[in-house]
Amino acid sequence: FGTILSEPLPLTPESLKVSINSTKQCLHLQWTVHNLDYHQELKMVFQIQISRLKASNVIWMGNYSTTVKRNQVLHWSWESELPLECAIHFVRMRTMVDDARIPAPRFWSNWSSWEKADAQNSLGDHPLYVFPKDKLVEEGSDVTICYISRNHQDNISCYLEDELTYGKQLDQNVWAFELKNVSFHRKTGTNFYCKGQGVPEGVVLFVSKVLEEPKDFSCETRDLKTVTCTWDPGSDTGLIQLPSYTLFDSFSGKKTLCKHRNRCDWQVTQDSQEVYNFTLVAENYFRKRSVSILFNLIHGVHPLAPYNLFPKSVSATNVTMTWKVSSIGHNSALLCQLQLLGEGKQHNISVRVNGEYLLSELKPDTEYMARVRCAYADHFWKWSELISQNFTTAEAAPSEAPDVWRDVTFVSGHPTVTLFWKPLSKVHTNGKILFYNVVVENLDEPSSLEVLSVPAPANSTKVTLNQSSYQIYVTAHNSVGPSPASAVAISGHPENENVEEGRVNGTEDGFHMSWKPQSRNATGYVVEWCDDPQNLPCVLRWKNLGPTNTGTVISSDAFRPGVRYNFRIYEISAKRMAHLLEKKAGYLKELAPSYNPEVATINLTSHSFTLSWKDYSTESQTGFIQGYYVYLKSKTGEKCHREFEKTILPDNSVGCKYTIDNPDQKTFVVKDLQPESVYEFFVTPYTSAGEGPLDDFTKVTTPDDYSHILIHIILPMIFCVLVVMITCYLKSQWLKDKCYPDIPDPYKSSVLSLIKFKENPRITIMNVNDCVPDAIEVVNKPEGSKIQFTGTRKSPTETKGTKPVYLDLLPTENYSGPGPCICFENFTYNQAASDLGYCGHFPVTPQAPHCQLGPLTSPENLLKTLEQNYMNSLGEIPAGEANLNYVSQLASPTSGDKESPPANPPEPVLCSEYKMQMAIPLGLASPAPSENSSLSSTALLNPSEHCH
Amino acid sequence: MKVLAAGVVPLLLVLHWKHGAGSPLPITPVNATCATRHPCPSNLMNQIRNQLGQLNSSANSLFILYYTAQGEPFPNNLDKLCSPNVTDFPPFHANGTEKARLVELYRIIAYLGASLGNITRDQKVLNPYAHGLHSKLNATADVLRGLLSNVLCRLCSKYHVSHVDVTYGPDTSGKDIFQKKKLGCQLLGKYKQNDHHQCLG
Repeated sequence: FGTILSEPLPLTPESLKVSINSTKQCLHLQWTVHNLDYHQELKMVFQIQISRLKASNVIWMGNYSTTVKRNQVLHWSWESELPLECAIHFVRMRTMVDDARIPAPRFWSNWSSWEKADAQNSLGDHPLYVFPKDKLVEEGSDVTICYISRNHQDNISCYLEDELTYGKQLDQNVWAFELKNVSFHRKTGTNFYCKGQGVPEGVVLFVSKVLEEPKDFSCETRDLKTVTCTWDPGSDTGLIQLPSYTLFDSFSGKKTLCKHRNRCDWQVTQDSQEVYNFTLVAENYFRKRSVSILFNLIHGVHPLAPYNLFPKSVSATNVTMTWKVSSIGHNSALLCQLQLLGEGKQHNISVRVNGEYLLSELKPDTEYMARVRCAYADHFWKWSELISQNFTTAEAAPSEAPDVWRDVTFVSGHPTVTLFWKPLSKVHTNGKILFYNVVVENLDEPSSLEVLSVPAPANSTKVTLNQSSYQIYVTAHNSVGPSPASAVAISGHPENENVEEGRVNGTEDGFHMSWKPQSRNATGYVVEWCDDPQNLPCVLRWKNLGPTNTGTVISSDAFRPGVRYNFRIYEISAKRMAHLLEKKAGYLKELAPSYNPEVATINLTSHSFTLSWKDYSTESQTGFIQGYYVYLKSKTGEKCHREFEKTILPDNSVGCKYTIDNPDQKTFVVKDLQPESVYEFFVTPYTSAGEGPLDDFTKVTTPDDYSHILIHIILPMIFCVLVVMITCYLKSQWLKDKCYPDIPDPYKSSVLSLIKFKENPRITIMNVNDCVPDAIEVVNKPEGSKIQFTGTRKSPTETKGTKPVYLDLLPTENYSGPGPCICFENFTYNQAASDLGYCGHFPVTPQAPHCQLGPLTSPENLLKTLEQNYMNSLGEIPAGEANLNYVSQLASPTSGDKESPPANPPEPVLCSEYKMQMAIPLGLASPAPSENSSLSSTALLNPSEHCH
Repeated sequence: MKVLAAGVVPLLLVLHWKHGAGSPLPITPVNATCATRHPCPSNLMNQIRNQLGQLNSSANSLFILYYTAQGEPFPNNLDKLCSPNVTDFPPFHANGTEKARLVELYRIIAYLGASLGNITRDQKVLNPYAHGLHSKLNATADVLRGLLSNVLCRLCSKYHVSHVDVTYGPDTSGKDIFQKKKLGCQLLGKYKQNDHHQCLG
C-alpha cells in the first residue's frame, strides 16, 4: 500500500455512459475507475467537458471531486439550459488523484473518448416538436425553448401566449428562443407554441413565484399536550403544487410534516421535555427556507376560552356569575378575569375547574354584559379568548320624583291646569314606568282628594279645578312601586301677567338670562318656553333651578335662528306656588326680515300722500324690528325731499331713503310733492341683521291742483244729472202716455164689443180694398192753426200758400165701393206705403158731411174733430158706442213744420200732406158682406194692397 | 354505402331506424344467451333519442368552455389545434341494419366515454379552478353512461347481443400537458361536430 501511495497512478475513468433525462433536462453520466486496489479509497477529481452540436464546441467544463472505491460506479448530472432534444451533446472526462496521502506532483489522466448524447433519435416523425415539455421555472429566471422542424420550407412562428417571440437558429432544423426574466401568468401554466402550416405544437411553462421565508413563526400550547406553531407563509408561489412545510425539533431530533401551509401541530410526549428548538423548513422545487425558535412549554400556555358563563341569583343590585374552564395539565390553576362591561370594573379569580363570583352594587333594571377570560396562573403569557353573557338586574321602585310643571288657563273663571312631566331618566326609573298617579288636593277642603291615573308614556294631563287653592302631587309607578311625589301648588285666581317683557340675546350656547329675586323665601325658579313657537300647540319646555340661582343658560336642539322665543321666569314659593317673575323674548340669532309689509296709500293729495302698514306684525318676524326704511323715487327730480337721504338701492338705482327708527310707527306721510307727478315708494323693515327683501316699488301719481274742483263740483253735477236721467227713465212711460199715447189696437177696441150687438157681426174693421181713396184737400187754413205734416215730399214753395186751406173729403171718381170712407195713413205702421208715394184712400159715406178740421193745434184737437165728424156721420150710433179706432201719428206736430203751409194739394192719387189714419164709422163704412171682405191687420201692413 | 361517422350526428340517425330490418351481425354467437339485470324501459328508443338530444345541445358549450380554459393559442387556432381529425374514432355506417348501427353506436359511445374520462382527469389537474368545465364534463359523462346502458339494453333484449368489442382513444396520461390539452380539444371538437338541424331529425 505504501508503494502505491508513493507512485503516481495512471487512473482513468472507464465505462463512461451518458443518458438524457428529458424531464429534468439533465445529462446523466456514470463511470467507474478500475485501477484501484481492493479496499483502496482515494479522493479524486474528475474534469468533465461537454460539447454541443459537435465535439469541438465545448460549452462547459468543470471538476467533480469525490472519494472513489475500486469498481465503484460514479454518477454525475449536468442540467442543460438548452433542451437536450434540440442539440447533440458530447461528453468526455479525465481524472486526477487529489488525495493528501499521495505526494505531488499529480497528473491528469488522459481524456476519455467523447460520448454522444442524441435525443433526436428517439423522436417520432411529427413535423414539429417543441421542447422542453412542462418546464418548471422560477419567476425572474431565464429559460430557453427550442423547436425542431422536419419541414425545411415551413415558415414557423413562435409565441409566448399571444406574443410573438424571436429566436436564433441552432441548426438547419432547430431554433432556440431564450426567454429572459419570465413572469408569472397563471397557476395553470403559460403556453408557448409554434405554428407553421401544419398543426401548432407547443409546451406549457410553469412559472413559480419565489418561495418566501415564513414570517411570525411562533408556538404555543392550549393544554400542555399539543404545541401549535403558526406562521405567515407569505404570498402564494402560484403553482398547483404547494411548497411543503416541515417542523423539526433539534433537541429531540423529531420532525413532522405539516398539514397546513400556515400551521403545524406538535404532539408533546410524556418525557417531560419543556424546551424545544423548533425549525420550520419551507421547501419547493427551487428553494428551501427555514426559521427557528426556542420554545418553552410552560411559558407558552394559551388557555382555551372558558365556557358556560351564566348569571345566577339575579336581584336588583346583585348577581352571581358562574363559568367553567378547561383543565390544563395536572391540577394547574388558571387566573380568570371577570369584567362587567360599562362599569369599568375587573375582578380576578383563581379557578381550577368552576369559577364563581358575586357582583354587587348593580343598578336595578339594567342590562349588563359580563365577560370572562383566563390565563395560565403559573406563568402568565396570554389571555384566553373572551366569552360574554348578558343579563338584566331586577326592577326597583323609581328613585326620583318626576319633574313636573303646569300651565294654568282660566275658563269662565275656573282654572284649568295642564300638568306636564318629564320622563324619568333610565337611572331613576329602575324599571318600566307603567303609569303616573296625579293626586289633586283641595287645600280649602282637606278631605277632598281626587286621584287620576295616567298610563305611560303620556307626559301630561289636564285637570279642571274650582276657585280654590290646590296642591297637586305626581308620582311615577313601575311594577315594583311609586316614585317620590312631585308637588305643584295652584291658586284659584289668575296670575299677575302685568310684567314688562324684556329682551334676551341668544348665543351659540343658548340664551343667557338672569333675573332679580323678589322674595327671600323662594325655593326655586322655573324658566318655561316653547320649543317651536311658530307651530301650535306649544311644546312646553321648562327648566327647574335652585333657590340660589339668579341666572341660567337655556339651550335646546330645537332652537333655530330667526325664531322669536318667549321665556317666562317663575319664582317658586315655599308652598310650591309659582309667581311670574319676568318675561323675556329673544332670538337665538336675529335675521333680516323675510317679507315686507303691505303698504296702503291713503290721503293722496297733489302735494302729499300717506303710507300705512298697520297690519304688519312686529312680533312674528325673524328679528326685533328696529324700524322701517321708506324708499322714494321720483321721475321728475333727482333731489331728495326733505328728511330723505339719497341712497343707492340694491338694484343699483338711485333713490331717496327715510329711516323710521320707531318700530311702532306704521304710517308715514310723504310731503312736499309735485302735483301731477309720478312717485315710486317702497317700505321695508329692518332688524339688527339687515333690512327686508327688495320688492317692487309702488307707483303713485299725485293729482293736479284743480282736481278738487272736479271732485267737489263736477262730480255732484254729474250725480244730479244722473238722478234726473234715472227719474226720467223711470217716468218715461208716464211721459210717453202724456206725449205720445199708444195707438190702440183695433182688435182690442171697445168698438168691437159694440159690433157684436149689431146685426152685422162680420164687420170688424175696414177692408182696405173696400176703401174709396179720397183726396184730402185743405180748403181753408184757419189762422193760427198748425198742422203737422209728415212725409212731405214737396217743399213749401210748391204749395199754394194763398189758397185757403181746409180739409175736404172728396169721393173718388172711380170708386165703385159701397160708399166712401175716411182713410188715414199711419206711417208708423205703413212706412213702405208712404215711401212709394201712395196713400190710403178710404171710402167715405156719401152722406157724410165734409170732414172739417178745425184748428189742429194738437192731436187731441184733431182727434176731437174727427170724432165729431164720425159722430155726425154715424148719426144713429149712440154716443159712447161709436169710437174712433185709431190714433193719428200725424197729430204730433213738429216744430219745423208748425208754420208750414199744407204741402200737398188735394190730389186724389197722391199722398196728401195730411196722412190720415183711417177712421171708420163701423156701422156705415162696412162693405157688403162678402167672403173677401174681412181684413186682418196684417193685410193693412201689405203695401201692395193699400191702394188700387 | 359506407359513411364515415363524423361527430355525434350519425348517432341521431338511429332515431329513424325501423325495427326488424337487416340481419344480425356476428357479434355474439347466435345461441349465446343475453340477460339484462333489469328489464329495458318501454320507451327505450325515446330515452335514447332524448339522451342524444341532450348531448347534442350541450356539446358546443362544453367545447367553448374547454378551449377557453386552455388559454392561448387554443381559442384563436381552433381550426388547427382542435380540428376533429381523430383517426381512431369508431366508424358508423348509416345504411347498415339496425343491429349493426346499434353496435357501432355502442362503440362510439364507449370511445367517447373513455376519452371524456381522460379529459376530465387531466383538466382537474391542469385547470383545478375551472369548476364550470369540470361540472360540464361530469354531466356529459353521466349522460354517456346512461346512453351506453340503454343501447346495450336494446342490443341485448332485441338482438341478444351481450358483448361488443370496443376501442378507446389514446391514453393521455404519459403525454405532456400541451398534448393533453390538444388531444382533449380535438376530441371535444369531434364530439360537438354535428349539425343542429339534424338534431332529433
